[in-house]
Amino acid sequence: MSLRAEGLRVRLGAAEVLHAVDFSADPGEVTAIVGPNGSGKTTLMRALTGELPHDGRVWLNGRDTAALRGWEMAALRAVLPQSTPLAFPFSVVEVVRMGQMSGLSAADPTLAARALSAVDLAGYENRFFQELSGGEQQRAQLARVLVQVWEPLGPDGPRWLLLDEPVASLDIGHQLGVMALVRDYARRGGGVVAVMHDLNLTAIGADKAVMMAQGQVLAAGPVPEVLTDAVLGEAYGCPLRVNAAPADGAVFVLPHSVGKVA
Amino acid sequence: MVALAEAPAAPPVADRLSRARRMHLALWALLALAATASLASGATGVSLGALFAGMTGAELSGVERVVLYDIRLPRLVLGALVGASLAVSGAVMQGLFRNPLADPALVGVSAGAGLGAITAIVLGAGVSWLAFTGIYTVPFAAFIGGWASTMILYRVSTRRGRTSVATMLLAGIALGALAGAASGVLVYIADDAQLRDLTFWGLGSLAGATWAKVAAAGPIIVAALLAAPFLARGLNGLALGEAAAHHMGIPVQTVKNAAILSVAAATGAAVAVSGGIGFVGIVVPHLLRLATGPDHRMLLPNAALLGASLLVLADVISRTVIAPAELPIGIVTAILGAPVFLWILLRRRGMIDL
Ligand SMILES: Nc1ncnc2c1ncn2[C@@H]1O[C@H](COP(=O)(O)OP(=O)(O)OP(=O)(O)O)[C@@H](O)[C@H]1O
Ligand SMILES: [Mg+2]
Repeated sequence: MSLRAEGLRVRLGAAEVLHAVDFSADPGEVTAIVGPNGSGKTTLMRALTGELPHDGRVWLNGRDTAALRGWEMAALRAVLPQSTPLAFPFSVVEVVRMGQMSGLSAADPTLAARALSAVDLAGYENRFFQELSGGEQQRAQLARVLVQVWEPLGPDGPRWLLLDEPVASLDIGHQLGVMALVRDYARRGGGVVAVMHDLNLTAIGADKAVMMAQGQVLAAGPVPEVLTDAVLGEAYGCPLRVNAAPADGAVFVLPHSVGKVA
Repeated sequence: MVALAEAPAAPPVADRLSRARRMHLALWALLALAATASLASGATGVSLGALFAGMTGAELSGVERVVLYDIRLPRLVLGALVGASLAVSGAVMQGLFRNPLADPALVGVSAGAGLGAITAIVLGAGVSWLAFTGIYTVPFAAFIGGWASTMILYRVSTRRGRTSVATMLLAGIALGALAGAASGVLVYIADDAQLRDLTFWGLGSLAGATWAKVAAAGPIIVAALLAAPFLARGLNGLALGEAAAHHMGIPVQTVKNAAILSVAAATGAAVAVSGGIGFVGIVVPHLLRLATGPDHRMLLPNAALLGASLLVLADVISRTVIAPAELPIGIVTAILGAPVFLWILLRRRGMIDL
């Protein structure tokens, strides 16, 4: 019962963007995909969700995703894209209900409101989605994704949240709030895979990390083993030093000069 | 402080779905009213009294019978069918292109369908296999023409699941011009009998409505209208983009293909019997979105009813304003629809996102 991929290769246009990537994530944990711009994080996510044609295979809860129907996948995992356009003037609650319709909790009339208050948008139900701020829109989309797989543990195994930069345009309070939300989802038995740019949020919010660089996995494993001076320097090409906060041993990253890596 | 006090209340979008359901009932009433007005008005005097007498089964004079059953009734039915199909194919196309400006008449699909119809009339006689389609030849050819133009348009204007409005409109102008030019050439080389056929099919008005035309176009239109509700959830999902729709388990490719087929069928059949009648497909869905929201589950059935009612009423106007002569219905819908369209553009420039 995990999310596993082997030998993922993706071509976009003329170039191969992912080169034989292996990936695995376990339920009960938050797995962060980190790496510099253009390293293939979004592409990896889109291959895992079956959105992009790819070589290699992906297993979700032990089932080959190539053999799963769209609606079966929708009941197992929900996906937050890096950006989501909206074409018509739907209200916030109408957008959230669209996610709810495609999951297993479609009938619950109070679910949309509960999800909105979980992302701190209580009372926003009847606002127009297009009139929300960027960060509010992102949280409303997160609510749509949450209601699709509201119960982290279904009768046939864990549910999965696949999130591409879920905190990218949020203020620090809401960043921490969303990290707490997904940690709670994992604690209750669900699986969470999130593309992250903020290494410190990754350090305190994620259990495992996968460092991508140039379309390959540079390092993968528990966060302290991936976020090391050597890996970060190689991935980002700039001097970064990892330190441990005295409190509970969690690491933090402090940029250390604006120069190139030595 | 004054500004605060006068700030508009939160937009009343609460439970727009149930408001849309009430609207649905009201629209049936509107259609019934429009139908009565249509049956009661026209060049020859069949009075309202005679109309009710006819409904209750009382004897009608021979003239009244012919006027009512063979002239006005087929015209009413055809007008309602065409209006419903124009409005629904507008709404479906807007959902497919994720854009409130997509409309079969505006982006060249009607012109493509017209070219199909004219091709069938002018060149079709020599093609023996076409004969099997019988009375459906012209609507079927219009459907093929509409389908081809929708496909081309979608290919040209959509990249990676996103539609560029500017490309769509420009490609539509090019397609429409091309189809119009080709149609012109065909009309030019048509012989007398074919010209008579072209006039019979009307290609521009409801004036020649007959039961034969209702029989030819009706089944295609009804099939496309019945298919539309099955697209509703898919079109709602597509509003969030193809990727999000896919993640929500919507069979995106199937929805797109079905939407293109239904637009082509409804537009093709409507164009075959009445020509390109503009603005119904863009104004009706837009007004309904303003009133009850963009949820396609109620938008599509309500668009069918409002489109039917409006076209029937426009037809009444076209028959009465300069009676005993008739104004082509396309002129009436343009006079009523174009200003509304401009008003939409003015109010919603931001939303349309050119
Ligand atoms: N549609 C495309 N066609 C061709 N190349 C593409 C396409 N999309 C992405 N790429 C390339 O693939 C590589 C990986 O892109 P990807 O979007 O996965 O990066 P990312 O790690 O998510 O970056 P970011 O941090 O900026 O979101 C980049 O070099 C990008 O230029
Ligand atoms: Mg990305």
